Amino acid sequence: MAQAALTIDGLGVDFEGFKAVNGVSLIVEDGELRVLLGANGAGKTTLMDLISGKTKSTEGRVFLHDTDITNWEEHRIARAGIGRKFQIPSVFKELTVRRNLEVASCRNPGVFANLGFGFPAKAKIDEVLELIGLTDEASRVAAYLSHGQTQWLELGLLITQDPKIILLDEPTAGMTQAETHKTSLIVNNLKGRHTIIVVEHDMAFVREIAERITVLHLGQVLAEGSVSDIETNPKVREAYLGSKGIS
Amino acid sequence: MSSKRRIDWAIYAAFIFLIMLVPLLMDSFWINRLAKYLVFGMLGIAVALSWGYAGILNLGQGLFFGAGAYMLAMSLKLASQTSLQQGSDKPVPDFMLWNAEPGAPTELCCINKASFLWLPFQSQWFGVAMGLLLPIVIATVLGAVVFRKRISGVFVSIITLALVLLVRLVMIDAQPVTNGFNGLTDLGWFKIGEFEFDPYITATYYLIAISLGVVLVAARLLVETRAGVILQAVRDDQNRARYLGFDVPAYQTFFFSVSALIAGFAGMLYVIVSEFASPTFMDLSFSITMVVWAAVGGRASILGACIGAIAINMISATVSETEGFAEAWKAIIGLIFVLVVLYLPRGVAGLAHDLVDRVARKAPGAAPMLRVNDPSSQLAE
Repeated sequence: MAQAALTIDGLGVDFEGFKAVNGVSLIVEDGELRVLLGANGAGKTTLMDLISGKTKSTEGRVFLHDTDITNWEEHRIARAGIGRKFQIPSVFKELTVRRNLEVASCRNPGVFANLGFGFPAKAKIDEVLELIGLTDEASRVAAYLSHGQTQWLELGLLITQDPKIILLDEPTAGMTQAETHKTSLIVNNLKGRHTIIVVEHDMAFVREIAERITVLHLGQVLAEGSVSDIETNPKVREAYLGSKGIS
Repeated sequence: MSSKRRIDWAIYAAFIFLIMLVPLLMDSFWINRLAKYLVFGMLGIAVALSWGYAGILNLGQGLFFGAGAYMLAMSLKLASQTSLQQGSDKPVPDFMLWNAEPGAPTELCCINKASFLWLPFQSQWFGVAMGLLLPIVIATVLGAVVFRKRISGVFVSIITLALVLLVRLVMIDAQPVTNGFNGLTDLGWFKIGEFEFDPYITATYYLIAISLGVVLVAARLLVETRAGVILQAVRDDQNRARYLGFDVPAYQTFFFSVSALIAGFAGMLYVIVSEFASPTFMDLSFSITMVVWAAVGGRASILGACIGAIAINMISATVSETEGFAEAWKAIIGLIFVLVVLYLPRGVAGLAHDLVDRVARKAPGAAPMLRVNDPSSQLAE
C-alpha cells in the first residue's frame, strides 16, 4: 500500500461562529491525483488555504508525510514541499517568462545565500518551458501573456519549484475548451511525479484527469470515490440538485 | 538580451567617465555645486532601489539621509576651531555654552544632561561608523516590524512619512544637544590622515564622484544577483513569492536597509561638501523631492534615477538664476514633473530603454517575410 503524502485530521476553521471547514479528515496517497468537488461555499478553497498556511486552522492537524505542518508560516510550508496555484493566476508580471521560472527554481530561500549571480537550472527550465508550451515566449514579459498562457506559466512555476504536493485551485478558470484540454495534458503529465490536489468545477476537465474525487458540502466531506461512484451517488445528487432532483 | 546588457553597462561607464572629467571644465564654485548634485544623485539611487525594485515607496528617506548627516556633522563640529576655543582643553560645541546653565562645567561630559552623547564623536571615524550604522539599524528594526506585519503599499509610505516628521520634531526639540532648528554649522573639514577635504577643491569632488561611481555599480550589481531578481518577484506578487518558499519580509527588510545605508552615506558626503547639517534634511518636502527626482529619471532604473536627480538640480539651479525665470522656476520644475508622469510613466530612463530596444531590433522579421510571398520577387528569380 502506498504511503500517505498528506494526512488531514479533523481540520476546521471557525470564522467568528461560521465554520467554513468543519472537521474534515482526508488522506491523500503518494502520487495520487485527488479532485475536490463541491458547490460554491462548500469550503474547497478554504481547505486549500488551511493546508498551505494562508488561513490558520482552529482545530485539527495537517501532516506532510510524518511532519506536522499545522499552522506553519506559508513560506515554511512551501519549503517543506507544498506548492500552490491560485484561482486568480498570479505570476511575476514585470519579469520575463524565463525569469519567472528562474525565481521558482531557486532552492535557497535566504537573502544572503542569494547574493551571487545566475540561476543554475537552465536545462530544467528549458524542459518546463517545453512542457507548458511557452518556449517561444521565454523572453517576453509575463504581463503580455494571454490569460491561458499566464495560467500555464503559473503551473510552470509550480513544476519548477518541484514540490511533493501540488495544490491547484481551479486551474482552468476562464479558459477556452482548447486551453482546458491543453491544461489537462499538462496536469496528466505531472501525475505520478507529484501528489496533486485539484479544486475544479469543470466536469469535462475532471473526467479527463480524475482518479479519486472527494466531495465537500457545507465544510464537511460528503462523499469520496471514483468518477462514476460520485456521479451516481444519491447524497451528491441531493446536495447539488436539491432533494427533489430535476423534475 | 546580452547585447542590451552590454549597452546598459556602456552607458554606466560613460556616465562615470563623464563625472570624472567635469572638474577639468569648471571653476571651484561649480565643482562644489556639482558635488552636491552628485550626492543627490546617490539619493536617487537609494529611492530607485526601494521604490523601483522593492516596491516600497519610502516618503521618509530624509530620515536616513539626516541620520548619516548628523552623525558625521557631530564629529566635524568637534573638529572645528570654534569648538576648541570655548575655554576648555577638550572641544565643546559653541552652542552648548550659549545655552548652558550658570555654573555648568565647560566639559562635554556634563555641560548639560545629554551632552555626554557627544563624547565618542571626538573621533571622526566613530562619526563615520555611526553614520553608516545608524541608518541600517533604524531601517532593519522598522522593516522587521512593518514587513513582518505585512504592511504594504500606501501604509508603508504613511508610516515612513510620519516617522521622519516625528524625528525632525525631536531633533528640533532637543536644542541642548542638537542646536535645534539651527542645526550644526561651522564644521571642521573631513580628514583622511593629514589630508583635509576643503569643500571647494577638486579632491573633495573626486571623493564624492568616486563614491557615487562605486555605489552606482554596486547597486546595479546587487539588483542583478539572484536576491535582486527575487526581490523584483516579491515586488510583483508578494503572495506568489511566499508560496514559492521565500521569506518575503527578509528580502524587503534587507533591501530597505541597503537603501537606507546609501541614503545615510549620501548624508555624510553632503555634510562634507556643504559644511552643515540641519533639520531641513528631514523636512517632508525634501523626502518628496527625492521621489520626484527618481520618478522623472525613471524609478525602475538605478542610473536613470541618479541622472534624474542630478539633471533636475542642474536645471533648477540654472533656471532659478536666469533673469525672468527667477520667480517662475518652481512652476517650471513642477511642469516638467507633471509632463513626465503623464507621458513617460517609466521616466526618462524608460524612454531611453525603448530607444535602445528599437535600435537592437533593427532587422525586422516582417518585411523580408512578405517579400518571399511576393509574386514579383519570385518573377525576378
